[in-house]
Amino acid sequence: MPYHLFKCSESIPEREKHAVIKGEGEDLTSALPLGYLNTIPGSISERGCAYCGAKHVIGTPMKDVIHMSHGPVGCTYDTWQTKRYISDNDNFQLKYTYATDMKEQHIVFGAEKLLKKNILEAFAAFPEMKRMTLYQTCASALIGDDINAIAEEVMEELPDVDIFVCNSPGFGGPSQSGGHHKINIAWINQKVGTVEPEITSDYVINYVGEYNIQGDQEVMQDFFKRMGIQILSTFTGNGSYDDLRGMHRAQLNVLECARSAEYICNELRVRYGIPRLDIDGFGHEAMASSLRKVGMFFGIEDRAEAIIAEESARWKPELDWYKARLTDKKVCLWPGGSKLWHWANVIHEEMGVNVVSVYTKFGHQQDMEKGVSRCEVGALAIDDPNELEGMEAIETLEPDIIFTGKRPGEVAKKVRVPYLNAHAYHNGPYKGWEGWVRFARDIYNGIYSPIHKLSLLDISKDEIRTDVGFETQRLLSDVNLSDEIKNSTTLREYTGKYDCIKDLRDKTYPEYLTKKVSEAV
Amino acid sequence: MDELTKDRVEQLIDYIMKKCLWQFHSRTWDRERQNENILGMTTQLLCDETVTAESIEDKCYWVDAVCLADAYKERYTWLADLEKPEIKSLMQDVKNRLDHLTITGSLNEELNDPLY
Ligand code: SF4
Repeated sequence: MPYHLFKCSESIPEREKHAVIKGEGEDLTSALPLGYLNTIPGSISERGCAYCGAKHVIGTPMKDVIHMSHGPVGCTYDTWQTKRYISDNDNFQLKYTYATDMKEQHIVFGAEKLLKKNILEAFAAFPEMKRMTLYQTCASALIGDDINAIAEEVMEELPDVDIFVCNSPGFGGPSQSGGHHKINIAWINQKVGTVEPEITSDYVINYVGEYNIQGDQEVMQDFFKRMGIQILSTFTGNGSYDDLRGMHRAQLNVLECARSAEYICNELRVRYGIPRLDIDGFGHEAMASSLRKVGMFFGIEDRAEAIIAEESARWKPELDWYKARLTDKKVCLWPGGSKLWHWANVIHEEMGVNVVSVYTKFGHQQDMEKGVSRCEVGALAIDDPNELEGMEAIETLEPDIIFTGKRPGEVAKKVRVPYLNAHAYHNGPYKGWEGWVRFARDIYNGIYSPIHKLSLLDISKDEIRTDVGFETQRLLSDVNLSDEIKNSTTLREYTGKYDCIKDLRDKTYPEYLTKKVSEAV
Repeated sequence: MDELTKDRVEQLIDYIMKKCLWQFHSRTWDRERQNENILGMTTQLLCDETVTAESIEDKCYWVDAVCLADAYKERYTWLADLEKPEIKSLMQDVKNRLDHLTITGSLNEELNDPLY
C-alpha cells in the first residue's frame, strides 16, 4: 500500500491510512485513502460540522426562503461575508440571516417558545416570504426541542406558509458531509411531490448539486434555456423552494456535485424512476460533452452542437493564452469535496498545470476514487488533512499555487504561496466556457502577481533599485515564452466583462413549441 | 492476457477513469448496472450494431455509451483494424478490469451500505 505518514503526524499513526502517493502502475485497488470517518483525536481538522453542511452548503442557496437556525447565534457565522451563492432575487438568502439566539436559560428551560416567537417575527418582518427552513443545531438537539411540532403549529396558524425542518445538528456526522446527506433525504421525504409543477417544455430536467457560486447556475441555465430545456428545479443554487417540491416531474436529473447531492438523485431514481446523468460543468471539453449528452438524451443534440461550436470559437483562444503561460506550474488542489475530481484532469489538460496533490476535507472514498484516478502519477492524495500536514506538504511539494478554502488559504499566504478560493472563487463564475477562462485568469494573476517578489524586500535594509521599473505580471510570465507565442495574433487575454452574469438575467431565449402545442397548431 | 491486449485494455480504462463519472456511482448494485449497460452498449456501437434505448433509463446509458464509443474511435485508431469478435473480446476484458477496479477489488468501504 502506498500510504504516506507525515512527519508531523508520527504521533498520530492512524493518520497514515488517510494519505497515499499514487505510484507508477498503481491503481485504486492499492492507492485509496480512508475517508468519511470521525476525525482522529489529536488531529486539528479543517472540517465543518453537519449543521454547516446542511444549512450553509445546501439549504441556504435556496433563494426565496427565510433560513432560520435554532441555536446560538454563532452557528450562523457563515453568511454573506464567507458565502458567495448569489441569486437573481437580490440575494435575499445571503443578505438576511436568522438565528433564535439560544442562551443558557433556554438550555435549562427549553427554547420552543423562543423558536415560535422567532418564526412569527420573521414572517411578519418579511411578509413577502412565505417559505422557511428551520435548522437544528447541537444546542437545540441536545435539549430535545420538538422543532417539527412548532413548525406544524405555525403552519396551522399561518396557512399560507410552508416550513421545512432540517434535523442535522452539528454532531450528526463526521463532517459537513453528514449534513449534506441528512438534508437530501429530509427534502425528498418531506417536500418532493407536494407541489405539481407547470411543465412548459418537452425536455424537463432537475439540475442537481449546483449552488450558483458567483453565478455558476445562471451560466448553465443559459445553455439549457438556449437548448429549449426547462429546468424544473435547481438543487439548490438560485433554486426556488416550491420548484424543488416538484422535482418528481422531471425526465432527467442532471447531477453536478455528486458528493453533496447524489443521495437525492439516487432516491429520485428509486422512487420516481428518474435517471441520473453525472456531468462536469468545468472545462471546455467537459462542458461540450455534458451538453452533448443532455442534448442526445432528448434528441436535440443539434442545439447542443450549435452552442458548443459558438462558445469554443469565442473562448478557446483566450484559454490557450493562459495555458501557454501556466504550463508546468505546480498546483495543490485542496478543495472541500467534489472539485478535486471535477478539476484534477481538466486543469492539467486544458491549462497545462501539474496537480501535485489533491485533498478533501469531507469527501468520501468515492471522491478519492475519482480524484486519484484523474490525477497523474506521483500526486499526493490526503483525506481530512490537519493544518500541520498541509504545511508539510507545501514545504515538500513546493507548489506555485494552491486552490483551497479561505482558512487554509490564508495560512498558505503566510508562507508566501498564493492561493485561490476553490469554494467561493475569486473572480467567478468558473463554469461554462467563459467561466473556465476566468478561472485561468485568476490562476495567472495569482501566480504572476509581482507582490510575491516585492514582499520579500525589506525597505529598511535591502537595496531598492530606482533605475528600473516595477516588474509586471506580463514580464514575469513571458520571460521564457517563444516569440511565436508572445507575438501570436490568435491567442488573447480574457476579454469578457467584469460582471458576466448581469446580462444573462435580461436575456430573451428562442421559443420552442412543445409537441402538444405544435400538433394543435 | 498477452501484453498487447493488456496495453490496449489499460488505454481504454485510462480514458474512462480520467474522463467519465458514470463508473463511480454510489453502491455496488449501481456500479454493476452502470458498467454492464454502458460498456455493453459501447461494445455494440463499436461493432456497428443497432442499440435499442427505449426507456429513459436505457437512454441515459446510451448517451454515455455514444460519447465513449466516439472518443474511443477518435483516440485509439488501432480499434479500426480490429475484427468485431476481437472488439467484443477486448471490451469484455475492459469490463472485467473496470468491475475489478470499481467493485470487486475496490477499497471503498461504503459500496455495500444498504441505504443511499
Ligand atoms: S458544531 Fe454545533 S454548535 Fe458548532 S456550529 Fe455546528 S451546530 Fe453550531
